[in-house]
Amino acid sequence: MQVSKRQFLKGVGALLTGVSVYGATRTLQADSLLQPEPESETKYAMVHDENACIGCNACVQACREVNHIPEGVTRVKIERKGPFGEYPNQSYRFSRVSCQHCEAAPCVRVCPTGAAYIDKETGIVAVNSDRCVGCQYCIAACPYQVRYIHPETRTADKCDFCQKSRLAQGLLPTCVEACPTKALTFGNLKDPESDLVKLLKAKPSYRAKVDLGTRPKLFHIQTIDGEIML
Amino acid sequence: MSAFHFEGLVWHWPIAIYLFLAGLSAGAVFFAIMLKHFKLYHEAWHSPFVQAAAIIAPVAVFGGLGILVFDLTRPLDFWKILVFYNTTSVMSMGVLVLMAYQVVLFAWIACIFQRRISQLLGKRLPIVQRLLNWLVLQEAAITGILVILAISLGAYTGFLLSALIGFPLLNNPVLPLLFLISGLSSGAAATLLGGVLLRGNPNGVEVRFIHGIEIPLILVEIGLLFTFFVGLILSGGQSQVAALNALGFGFWGWIFWAGVVGMGLTLPLAFNLWMKVSADRKFAYVAVTASFSLLGVFLLRNFILYTGQMTGT
Ligand code: SF4
Ligand code: SF4
Ligand code: SF4
Repeated sequence: MQVSKRQFLKGVGALLTGVSVYGATRTLQADSLLQPEPESETKYAMVHDENACIGCNACVQACREVNHIPEGVTRVKIERKGPFGEYPNQSYRFSRVSCQHCEAAPCVRVCPTGAAYIDKETGIVAVNSDRCVGCQYCIAACPYQVRYIHPETRTADKCDFCQKSRLAQGLLPTCVEACPTKALTFGNLKDPESDLVKLLKAKPSYRAKVDLGTRPKLFHIQTIDGEIML
Repeated sequence: MSAFHFEGLVWHWPIAIYLFLAGLSAGAVFFAIMLKHFKLYHEAWHSPFVQAAAIIAPVAVFGGLGILVFDLTRPLDFWKILVFYNTTSVMSMGVLVLMAYQVVLFAWIACIFQRRISQLLGKRLPIVQRLLNWLVLQEAAITGILVILAISLGAYTGFLLSALIGFPLLNNPVLPLLFLISGLSSGAAATLLGGVLLRGNPNGVEVRFIHGIEIPLILVEIGLLFTFFVGLILSGGQSQVAALNALGFGFWGWIFWAGVVGMGLTLPLAFNLWMKVSADRKFAYVAVTASFSLLGVFLLRNFILYTGQMTGT
């Protein structure tokens, strides 16, 4: 009896080590660039030029209409900071807050059902609402706090670059078209001729919370007027 | 900022209750197994403490799962968590552990009470009898697997929160250990409380044995809490902000110092040390100490869940 118990425990121990090593290497593989399958030719991204943005919220309104987003929730917000400087030379700073379409997306990693996923063709992070059970793990896991429960479908929702509405018809995301100052640029990161890549090569940009290792694909061009903030 | 409603709050108290109950179940099972193997041997089945654990463990894990399901925004789609798996998701893997845990838990309970169940059945249901006999032959294996599953379940309650990388207080390597240890001590407390309520002897060998383990457990828990917060403060940045926010003078600061540290750890530790020296233990001592540690662990779960979500990176 004693011997068999010890053997059994050894066996279980070995099994557990095996499983955990296997699991660890698997995540490493998934995160590394050396993925075996050929990558698709498209990887969508967006740039928000904070110098051009006037905080009019036209993008927010357009999104609400096109993607049928009810009041109380939103896929995109324009955050306002300020005012800076003395009247009458006051200025504000605006920054877009929406899904960053992370390459290493925490929301996708934690979703128990695979409802939160990365579209292999386009790099868009999307939600398959048929699979979503509403555990809200992804909402808590997203460091950018851009996910919410859609009040009608009761499933997780967020910006998907208009994947199901406008992109499906070959159009640009609606916020990009609605913007009166052309502060938003959308395009394919893998296409060196795209406006997006040209803009990113011409102007310095930053991304939010890169230290978390999420590799976000929403780029910001920082405001140059106003105060220096610490 | 109010204590229970603030911006960025996603998971509310039902999740804290779920985490509490899962850890408690694992802890109760762990102590019942220890009791059987080190003290009671084949007499385990008529110990009120083992009986209490055998009732508490399944009830707590079912209750916890029920709360988890009702807290989904689409409770009727619960089955999808069982059908679709995601190996990178702590929740998905935790549900797997939970399912396996329940099966093995019932097998173990059947082993322990096999004689009793056989007596009750008499000559009826020979299939069940044969199944029971077979289970008893596998008892060593079942016990081994159950210990591993119980420890995984206890740690999982911490990993579930530590996977939230946007919150420095939660995304912390000490958290799973802290939850495991406090889960074990809540299981010990529940077993003691249930046992004396089932008219177990408050001065019996079971109580002495569990109290003997509980003292080092509480000391380890204090050490872990200390490491947890000192680690956060020394990390600086938002980690420090999160830690100082949580421990400050607000509502949750009081819960921590008075509830978790005072009532949940210091008082039970003092009572236990005192009971060790005084000759015999009475019902009231055991029951009150156990209730304090239970409440302390419950408050710790809520404290971590809420203050954890208050400060993001
Ligand atoms: S920003 Fe949030 S929702 Fe969007 S991909 Fe990253 S983690 Fe997911
Ligand atoms: S709420 Fe839906 S999408 Fe988010 S983690 Fe849960 S199942 Fe996945
Ligand atoms: S529409 Fe353009 S200018 Fe107006 S808030 Fe949106 S990004 Fe800024």
